[in-house]
Amino acid sequence: MTLDASQRDELRRKFVEFAETRSPRTRDELIEAHLGLAEYLARRFSNRGEPLDDLTQVASVGLLKAVDRFDPTRGVEFSTYATHTIVGELKRHFRDKGWAVRAPRRMQELYLRLGRTVSTLSQELGRSPTIPELAADAQVSEEEVLEALEAGQAYRFASLDAPSPGEDDGDTISSQLGAEDAGMIDAEHRVVLSPLLAQLPKREQVILHLRFFEGLTQSGIAERLGISQMHVSRLLARSLAQLRSAAEGS
Amino acid sequence: MVTQDEVRDEIRLAVPATPEFLRLARVTASGLASRLQFSYDEVEDLRLAIDELCFALIGSRGRSGTVDINYAVHSDALEVVGVGNFDDDQTDPMLASFSEQILTALVDDYAVYRDERGRPAFRLVKRRQPTTDGS
Repeated sequence: MTLDASQRDELRRKFVEFAETRSPRTRDELIEAHLGLAEYLARRFSNRGEPLDDLTQVASVGLLKAVDRFDPTRGVEFSTYATHTIVGELKRHFRDKGWAVRAPRRMQELYLRLGRTVSTLSQELGRSPTIPELAADAQVSEEEVLEALEAGQAYRFASLDAPSPGEDDGDTISSQLGAEDAGMIDAEHRVVLSPLLAQLPKREQVILHLRFFEGLTQSGIAERLGISQMHVSRLLARSLAQLRSAAEGS
Repeated sequence: MVTQDEVRDEIRLAVPATPEFLRLARVTASGLASRLQFSYDEVEDLRLAIDELCFALIGSRGRSGTVDINYAVHSDALEVVGVGNFDDDQTDPMLASFSEQILTALVDDYAVYRDERGRPAFRLVKRRQPTTDGS
């Protein structure tokens, strides 16, 4: 990633501005300006058995953290700082996931294919399909379905559109959810999980609320929010993991 | 109580008490749930519940020792009992309040306790919901 002097100055100015205002728009601009760096670093890790798309997501999470934590007064170039943070995130990704994530590419692909099968079959049957039904429809064995679901568990990283913990992504959320849903989590239940819950992205808060307080099924939530059930599943698993570690730390 | 039903099959699994092996606990549970014709929704609930309860025993970083997991297959339910055999066993197993809320929504019955030999343990029961089309 090469920038000319004026572009670098412009970015420096934006970092100073962001440090003062914490403006979401400036943050977005800074992230966008450095996505190339995240992609570049993700590619450097791409020969280790992980899909490049996943690594790019992990690297993007690292970039988000770097933008949020960068202190322009320290006299360090952002690219230096961000490279360190992003590589750290990528390394942690490989370390934390251990052998579980080195699921064969085939399983990752089957997992993605099953996501569509779950939606189609749920609609056709009017209920959540069984594993044998999924296997028959996808023309694979039950074991492969189970293995793929497990492989998918590893595939649950924050996407770039997910806000950083604690941040309210008002616009995004209101475009996805009715006002009722967004307001709902401000109800008394929030107190139960607060302040742990408040650290999660708002969309995950809503999903947790719908699943655990409203008692909706995963497929019900998927339908209500217009996202795939597997995405609901991934976000739930991730939220619970975050809540667990937050509870342990407190 | 599910335990009044006849246990049709019993499967035992002993895994190191570290997060990377919880995968085996989940896969075993979902494999058995699949045999019981649990729906995809129910299998996903079960996996989350197993995670939640196992982590209550081993913590997010794991412990030194093993978790012995016993799966009892009933006619319409799966009962899972996990027992920690830890080298260093100081703290009582406990659930955060959100865990209680979560588990209530995920499974039909659960408990975290010390077993008769004083080891930290959990138990869960997940029933298959009857479906309208009889499958």
